[in-house]
Amino acid sequence: MRNSKAIRYLFAFVVAAAVTFAAAQQTITLEAWTIGPDEPAVHRAENLEAAALILNEQLAAEGADYRVELVTDFETVSWDDFRRRLLLAFDSGLAPDLIASSHLDIAVWSEGGFLMELDGYIAEYDAFDDVVESLWDFTTYKGAVYGIPINPEARPFYFNKTLLAELGWSADEIEALPGRILEGDFIWDDVVEVSLEAIEAGVVAPGHGYWHRPADGPDYYHTYMAYGGRLQDPDTGQLVFTQDAALGLFTLLGRMADEGVILRDLIGTPWPEWHRTVVDGEVLFNSAGTWSFAEWATQFSDGGYDHIWETFGFALQPAAERGGTPTTLSHPLAYYIWSGTDHADLAARLLSIVTTPEFDVRAMESGHLPALESTRAEDAFLENEFLSQVSYMVDYTSAQPVHDGFGRYADIVFRSINAVESGQLTPEEAVELTVEELQRALGDQVSIE
Amino acid sequence: MSTPAAATDRGAARHGGNRASSWKLPALFLLPALIIVLLFFFGPAIVTGYLSMTDLSARTLSDPSFVGFDNYEYVLGSRWTPLILRNTLFYVGVTLLFNVGMGLVLAIVISGMSDRVGNVFRLLWLLPRITSPVIYVVMWQALMARAPYGFLSQLTGQSQNWVNAYPWHSVILINGVVGASLGMLIFTAAIRSIPEDLFRAAAVDGATTWQTVRRVILPLMRWPIMFVTAYQTLSLLASFEYILLLTNGGPGFFTTEVWSLWAYKEAFQSYVGNVEFGLGAAMAAFLVVTGIVASLIYLRVFRFNDLLARPKIEVN
Repeated sequence: MRNSKAIRYLFAFVVAAAVTFAAAQQTITLEAWTIGPDEPAVHRAENLEAAALILNEQLAAEGADYRVELVTDFETVSWDDFRRRLLLAFDSGLAPDLIASSHLDIAVWSEGGFLMELDGYIAEYDAFDDVVESLWDFTTYKGAVYGIPINPEARPFYFNKTLLAELGWSADEIEALPGRILEGDFIWDDVVEVSLEAIEAGVVAPGHGYWHRPADGPDYYHTYMAYGGRLQDPDTGQLVFTQDAALGLFTLLGRMADEGVILRDLIGTPWPEWHRTVVDGEVLFNSAGTWSFAEWATQFSDGGYDHIWETFGFALQPAAERGGTPTTLSHPLAYYIWSGTDHADLAARLLSIVTTPEFDVRAMESGHLPALESTRAEDAFLENEFLSQVSYMVDYTSAQPVHDGFGRYADIVFRSINAVESGQLTPEEAVELTVEELQRALGDQVSIE
Repeated sequence: MSTPAAATDRGAARHGGNRASSWKLPALFLLPALIIVLLFFFGPAIVTGYLSMTDLSARTLSDPSFVGFDNYEYVLGSRWTPLILRNTLFYVGVTLLFNVGMGLVLAIVISGMSDRVGNVFRLLWLLPRITSPVIYVVMWQALMARAPYGFLSQLTGQSQNWVNAYPWHSVILINGVVGASLGMLIFTAAIRSIPEDLFRAAAVDGATTWQTVRRVILPLMRWPIMFVTAYQTLSLLASFEYILLLTNGGPGFFTTEVWSLWAYKEAFQSYVGNVEFGLGAAMAAFLVVTGIVASLIYLRVFRFNDLLARPKIEVN
């Protein structure tokens, strides 16, 4: 009898202790919204999830009375939807604690007061010292750092080796093409000439000589820069529009549309159709990203990486003039902390854990380059044939300006490109119109040169 | 004993009391609708008007400034305003003709069929309306893509993106098919409510089918036609989802850009997220005014007051 009473007390004590323990250990939920939109870039969310497990192990070892639960979201549809959702979340005070997005978002979001300055945390955690020094420029705005850079890339000029061979190019000639582009020996005019030859020979259909992206975006600016264009004055921070360079770009694209190298209505082609047409070998040249290589192999090709390696060669974007310098463009992403979060310290600690080669190396899965110095020495990176072959492109890269007026700037320039390709404006008219629109929309935020 | 004067006073009081109760009860019944209209119709219009006078954007979301009529000046000063206005008028006008005309034709033709066959046709025509716009447009895109992906390109042997080749045709057709189903339903109900006697009388008088439609059906359908026309006009002015999904205002340069799509893009769409809610609200305010003006014109054209007038002869 006494025994059974003792057992009952013991049981009650164990239950009470368990309840007390459970009540004492809080769960703090952190939310992270991330974006591809290319599906192989899902590591931007998965890395955070894995880092949260490590963080919890650390918390357990420290005897902390709380654990972290991380809820992630990975957007695969469009930047536009993702940004709209975030803006509404910022406005309603329901934004996620962590965000992975373009480095360009810093200007508008920090002006809006939605992002936390990270300088203090960067000084606190040694992990951030490993970030490639030049990448901090992409995430610094008005003297403060707002993001931890991830996944820089390059935007190669791809050529279809099978089609060039059909056109009569020898294997050596095809192999030599990236080198010729690097030396400024194969320029944009040559792209037009070879495309016309391929169309005339029936190797590709009219309009399938060269394809750029079918939508608004950064790719047009590497060609604008090849013509000597500038986007921002490094001294004043003011946006810049270089009329001669824009005329060069518009003239090139107008000529391509007039002569049937490019489809007049290429802009507006749905992305899946664009990728399928390129991967199916119907387009001679195209401009895309390093991540496209992974996207084509995993999402659009039945033959996977073997087929993509056999079919596509890659180089820098050609120069505008013979002997000129080729170009490319990088559009790194960054992890941000929402200024309204209640758990900034935990979020920053999580970012310090994810900023290690172990996680950074996963960038390769989506065709992105490492953001950390030590990842560049990792065997996995050195053995990655594609990335090691494109890594030289980083020396020729540039980026779009982190400026809160750049959204309007980009919209106006893209509208003019659209007008030139559809034949509604001549290149000269388009330059004139762009200047007029930029001045009307941005006033003294833009300088015309 | 009451005097005639007192009786008159009481009469007046009774009359006054009747007058008070004559508006109190209807007011009570109208109150819920009034609250809804104020909250969900006037409220948003007033908020739109207020926002249109601020510089509210992604950048100034937490602290917008009052800018007066700057946004309106910006819109009116744009060189694209006349082009987009023309596009909007064309889109609304032609789609409306398609919607109302097709709805009417369908209703008349289907009313002549047996119920069983008619119901099958009605259901078929309702499918686009009950399909989600995104799926509906993706299906059209699959139909109209270049070969080997597009059905139409395969069928005709001419590989082209048919949406880009015929942008307005596509936009109007795709919108029109959805819009026609609404007209079809309402017109069918209206045709069924026409007394059978009138059709018999017309037949006895030797009226042809066309004469029956022209002289019997159409005059009795002024009310539903006015309703569908006004409703579709306002709906077309404000809706842009099919254009957004199908052409996004292209191909090329503002080819199929209509006012509401332009406003949406200014307010919500930008490659690097710098969206201008204030400017978008100013553009939306133009639509509110246009909608009111169009409604007033319709009320006059269709002689709305006559439709509401008490019949001169009451037949019981």
